[in-house]
Amino acid sequence: MIQTQKKSKNDLAAKVTGNTRYLHDMNLPGQLVGGTFRSPYPHARITRLDVSKARAVKGVAAVLTAEDVPHLEFGPTKYKDWNILAKDKVLFIGDEIAVVAAETREAVDKALSLIEVEFEQLPAIFDPEDSLQEDAVEIHPGVERNRPMHVLVNRGDMDQAKQEAHIVRSGRYHSNRIYQGHMEPVGVLASWSDEEGLTLWAASHIPYRARETYAAGFGLPEDKVRIIVPPIGGSFGSKYVLKLHVTSAALSMKTGRPVKMILDRSEDMLTAHPRVPLTYDIEIGAAADGTFLYKELTVYGDAGARIYWSPNVLATACTRTDCIYNFGAIKAEGHLCYTNSSPTTCMRGFGNAETLFAVESVIDELALGLGMDPADLRMKNIVKQGETTVHGYKLDTCNLDLCIDKAKEISGWERRNELPANRGLGMALANHVSGFRAIDPRFDGSTAIMRINLDGELEIETGEIELGQGMSVTYARIAAQILGIPEGGIIVKSGDTGRYPFGIGTLASRSTVMGGNAVMKASQEMQRQIQALATQVHGEGAEFRDGQVHSDGKAFTLKDISAWYRARHAGEEFKVKETYVPDTEMPDATYFGNPSPNYPFAAHVAEVEVDPDTGRTRMIGYWAVHDSGTIIHETMAKGQVIGAVAQGIGWVLMEDFQVEEGVVRNPSMMDYRMPGAHDIPHVDIAFIQEPDPNGPMGAKSLGEVALDPVPGAIANAIAHATGKRGTRLPLSAERVWNMLQS
Amino acid sequence: MHEHQLNLTINGCENKVSGDVTQPLADVIREKLGLTGTKIGCRTGECGACTVLIDGKPVVSCLVPAASAEGHDVVTIEELSQKDDFQRLVQSMLETGGVQCGFCTPGIMVTLWAWLQDRSLFGGDISSALKNNLCRCTGYQSIIAAVEQVIAEEGGTRI
Repeated sequence: MIQTQKKSKNDLAAKVTGNTRYLHDMNLPGQLVGGTFRSPYPHARITRLDVSKARAVKGVAAVLTAEDVPHLEFGPTKYKDWNILAKDKVLFIGDEIAVVAAETREAVDKALSLIEVEFEQLPAIFDPEDSLQEDAVEIHPGVERNRPMHVLVNRGDMDQAKQEAHIVRSGRYHSNRIYQGHMEPVGVLASWSDEEGLTLWAASHIPYRARETYAAGFGLPEDKVRIIVPPIGGSFGSKYVLKLHVTSAALSMKTGRPVKMILDRSEDMLTAHPRVPLTYDIEIGAAADGTFLYKELTVYGDAGARIYWSPNVLATACTRTDCIYNFGAIKAEGHLCYTNSSPTTCMRGFGNAETLFAVESVIDELALGLGMDPADLRMKNIVKQGETTVHGYKLDTCNLDLCIDKAKEISGWERRNELPANRGLGMALANHVSGFRAIDPRFDGSTAIMRINLDGELEIETGEIELGQGMSVTYARIAAQILGIPEGGIIVKSGDTGRYPFGIGTLASRSTVMGGNAVMKASQEMQRQIQALATQVHGEGAEFRDGQVHSDGKAFTLKDISAWYRARHAGEEFKVKETYVPDTEMPDATYFGNPSPNYPFAAHVAEVEVDPDTGRTRMIGYWAVHDSGTIIHETMAKGQVIGAVAQGIGWVLMEDFQVEEGVVRNPSMMDYRMPGAHDIPHVDIAFIQEPDPNGPMGAKSLGEVALDPVPGAIANAIAHATGKRGTRLPLSAERVWNMLQS
Repeated sequence: MHEHQLNLTINGCENKVSGDVTQPLADVIREKLGLTGTKIGCRTGECGACTVLIDGKPVVSCLVPAASAEGHDVVTIEELSQKDDFQRLVQSMLETGGVQCGFCTPGIMVTLWAWLQDRSLFGGDISSALKNNLCRCTGYQSIIAAVEQVIAEEGGTRI
């Protein structure tokens, strides 16, 4: 464990005292307010659209419809199905038809109320399996069976494995829509000028992909779009790329004035892009001794009406869990389906946590059938250090076995057979990646620039994004450790495509390992260059250690070092720039390849008490053991684990983003209840810290692997408590009560 | 629109603001006075990000009509963060990891401060005190630990 030093100069202190300026807190001179006119129907042809009355409202600067914007092929993934405004057809409730910019909110609202539109309603589809039917209505022209993506994975001899299986367990599992629950509602501030191009202040944590996407939408060169990322008030996947950014840009381009759009919570929820709901048909077969022989999986993913990030979710859902257990033969088929609901997208742990809910549930059913302890059955089948998994993941470090042992120890797993009535203990395992090679087919990696300021402060610039996960303090600690300087003298800067180096962004649990490796390389290069400079200035006896140059009994600070450099380089600042390129492989067409520098693992145990009269589940305890290599910043690392567990508890027991025939039924925080302080038990955490050779200081990722096992662990605890297996999330009181009556 | 001149005492200063008497106090604080430490997460009193003190009690300022705050003492995070004894809570939050994205944090700090001043609020326990404040990042454990640390440093006595 690397010990804490002095408090950091980075983002956290400002947040605690209310000094952090989020997007909502920013304004530009001459700024207009924006608003959106949206489709009230899930699938309809626009037969008449008249915005003349809206344009005549006093204070309205622009009303844009499809006639006023380009119609180019664009979108954030390879499936380019976005538009800026709907041209002839709307595909979901909330689909954007027109946008307004005006001097005041009141003028915006009045203009929106005066837009005249007529529709011819079309048949709509809301169930992914319905959308696959041959006679289903076509949502996007030319997309066969409404299926933009079809995943097929086959490894091993499935027929033989099925013949050999002594025991088989199967089922149909559903994971639901989850609202990411970002406390800061979605918003944007857009500003166009002919000289600068388009500048967007937008809380995207993949700003370079957002820039590429939006530039394509307008037919602009990427360099003409700059995205400045203010501090992000929570995302968890909701703020990757958003149509709101594009429509506000169009308004600013039209009016030549800055346009700000902040959704209120109701519009944020009514137009939300929630976690992709997934339906699983799963079957796992095992030998009499518990050795897994095969896993067969069919997944249906509801993409909604356009592609945001759902293809990546589906691919993960079909493959990732095969790199925790050696299942033997593998077959997975995934269908990504268009429906007439609001597009769905990523949320923390995407694809993996959902599949694990199904997999871990079925494994517990197998354990029950075999009369084995579920922890022992897991231990028998897990992947091990040094192995290459069935999909090609190279496990330089894997301490899943130690995680299981430790989780048993700290949770008191031996109590499992002696628990009081209505109590249950459940275990689940998880893995994840630390970055994923296929995010950008062209390259992966991260760049860090490090400079010594005139006053001796060290600045680090990165293309990765702070989300509150602790990226900045982690990078500061890495640099502080290598250079021997206090963390308090280090500032980490990020979030501006016009100023800072290129970065893939904060997704796929990239920031610690990818950006951290770049910071480590830059720190090492800086150390080397300081030593060389010290030798040049003070001769061979000079030595750089503990953040200072020592020579002839004198010590020189970074401020002195900065001055030496500038004096010898025409006043130029002393800086280094280093790029980390991971030694990974692009997965092939069969999803085989080593896509990440390393892989974190976890074993979680949940203890619950289920009230048989109400079906309500109360969390009694929670234990999380993680193999994330070296923990660089223990405080923030624990915060990632506890926060993820809390989100998982909400997902399994409370949260259900209800969309019926395209209509959000619970668009408020009162009706969509997220966990409060009383809903979360104490979470006990342990880290197994073997340094990984590919991680900065030996670190692996943590932010998502901490959520991945939670649904499975709690579901298994409820099954243990009740003797009934819940297969549809959330396992709400009503659902569990009904299960108990069945 | 009921345009009126309002006299509001915010952070010890008398402020004359004009506007609709029913406008939310949160909007006056943020937009008229530029005190953006008070955040708006929902506008319906469900998230607690806009919590301020009115006569020492934590209140969600998005639900308070500005006119009803006349004659009362309104304190925001900006004022609290100037206080010497508030720094113990700040330091504890940083040490325990009670802050991540930070959007809910000013409202939570106001609530925690009020509870530390008067622990009979909310039935006496810190988890109950947080019932009006949502945090999506931390899972609350480190926030509660920060308060416990402040109390422990004070020898378990009232500060």
